[in-house]
Amino acid sequence: MSTLSIVVTLATIVLAALLALLMIPVLVWLERRVCGLIQDRLGPNRTNLFGFRLGGVVQSFADVIKLVVKEEYYPSHIGKGRWLFVLAPMITFASALLAFMVIPFADDLVLYGERMKIQALPVEYGILWYLAIGSVGVIGMVFGGWMSHNKYSLLGALRSASQMVSYELALGLGVISMILTYGTIDFNAMVHWQSGTVLGFLPAWGALVQPLAAIVVIVALFVETNRAPFSVAEGESEIVAGFMTEYTAMKFAMYFMGEYVAMNTASAVIVTMFFGGYQLPWLSTETLTAHFSAVAWTIVVALPLFVWFFIRWMKKNNTVRPTVSTDWGRHFETKVLSVVLIAMTVVIDLILIYISTLPEGSAATTVAVTLLQIAVFVMKLMAFNIFFIVVRWTLPRFRYDQVQTLGWRYLLPLSLLNIFVTAIVVVGVLS
Amino acid sequence: MPEKIILTLLGLFLVVGALTVVIARRPATNAIGFLAVLLAVAGLFALLNQSFLFLAQILVSVGAVVVLTLIVILTVNLKEEQFPKERFKGVWIVGASVLTAPFGWLLYKTLVSVANAFPKTQKGFGSAEAVGKSLFTDWVLPFEILSLLLLAAMVGAIIIGKKEQAYDIES
Repeated sequence: MSTLSIVVTLATIVLAALLALLMIPVLVWLERRVCGLIQDRLGPNRTNLFGFRLGGVVQSFADVIKLVVKEEYYPSHIGKGRWLFVLAPMITFASALLAFMVIPFADDLVLYGERMKIQALPVEYGILWYLAIGSVGVIGMVFGGWMSHNKYSLLGALRSASQMVSYELALGLGVISMILTYGTIDFNAMVHWQSGTVLGFLPAWGALVQPLAAIVVIVALFVETNRAPFSVAEGESEIVAGFMTEYTAMKFAMYFMGEYVAMNTASAVIVTMFFGGYQLPWLSTETLTAHFSAVAWTIVVALPLFVWFFIRWMKKNNTVRPTVSTDWGRHFETKVLSVVLIAMTVVIDLILIYISTLPEGSAATTVAVTLLQIAVFVMKLMAFNIFFIVVRWTLPRFRYDQVQTLGWRYLLPLSLLNIFVTAIVVVGVLS
Repeated sequence: MPEKIILTLLGLFLVVGALTVVIARRPATNAIGFLAVLLAVAGLFALLNQSFLFLAQILVSVGAVVVLTLIVILTVNLKEEQFPKERFKGVWIVGASVLTAPFGWLLYKTLVSVANAFPKTQKGFGSAEAVGKSLFTDWVLPFEILSLLLLAAMVGAIIIGKKEQAYDIES
């Protein structure tokens, strides 16, 4: 282990932890704002720190303070088993967080003859790890629901367990057909496979090569995250809050954060398996490295344009109603953010111009390609997180029997059929 | 040296978890002990560099078996007063320990004598690829027969589960 690889490994682990944990407040805020958008209202946008509202993200930090200082309440029957009661949400949270660690954020970084994986856990069995660790999360829910000694909690726990068990079959079979297609269980190799094209012009993304498997796996992943429309486990119209009825303050927050981390992980898996992972369509890592100066100049031109439009949008929208005379510091916030954005753009542009003058294939180009891929990955990840949120606020919650029917009657036979077709194509036609 | 420390810790986990499963009175504590045992076994596999066995252990034992066990405990929902009365508990424990002690000694002797007699593994041994290849070339017949066995077990389970309904149809 050289110093370089240690630094890269540490940076990757920090990046993975940040992407999983710092995403939680952003996702909570996004959930409420997108929900507001869909229901034709604004959502939280008033909370501020010294006049900075950042569109309302600050609200999430206020929520954190509220949850931390809230009264800790334990049901009276808990007694000595208190640590078990607290352990349950921790299992759910930890398993969601660990499952995120095998996602590759960029292609292998080759610097000075060393090949380093941009993956917090540099293992070669990524998808198996996700399936294995992801299935542990339900134990936390069942434990929590059971130890609450509450009929609602018990029902919620049973529902979530049976739902998970039934959809894990469809998920596993869908994943098997993808493994047949890619011929690997390594996430990074899967992304490599997707860098080509199909039919000559479409990017060879998993969703375009295997649309049926993509639908099955995405639906099954929705169930794995326990989110609407599959949130019968916490159906508040029937069973109060399901397995988390008796949980308060930070113990509740642990379940809550676990749900968002699981959603983030599921988005990352969908992006990696079906939407080309960290890759830009048509541009594989080799192409990017070979023609980096062209890519750099595209970004140099496109970034200021994008920032200019964003600043104009912000100036137009970051105001109180025209009838209100005071602006509560919103113009000041717009000004400061504009200056910060412009400064960032200038710095990034200067760096990119400097790199584009360097010879192709130098160390700086390789690092820049890696950073670009990380940015692309984060963008795709956010897009799928927003997809999850939009689906939650668009579809009503399925009834329990509908959930089971969909899993056993439709998804399971479909994924089995898909395996047969895939096997015939892969073994019979392609080989 | 780090391996030995990890091995000791995992062994400790294993023994404490197993004892918890047997001794603890609250079903919740038992279940946590069971979970700890299975995770410790998975950790032992990981320590031996058997990535496939490690993942299969977590996937099957932790992900499926523990959840199903939990559901069973949860549905049965035993109260402490429903437990059978255990008289002569001390006598049983002492008697069983005395009876099993020779076997423990035998086990220890066997393990010590074969400890260094195992062949060295090659590189890649125990990875998912290697396991899959050997399973579908050298062991393909036993593997397929095993699937028949599982099918028979599943059919049996369905028939036992449907028993009452079958009676209804007959009568």
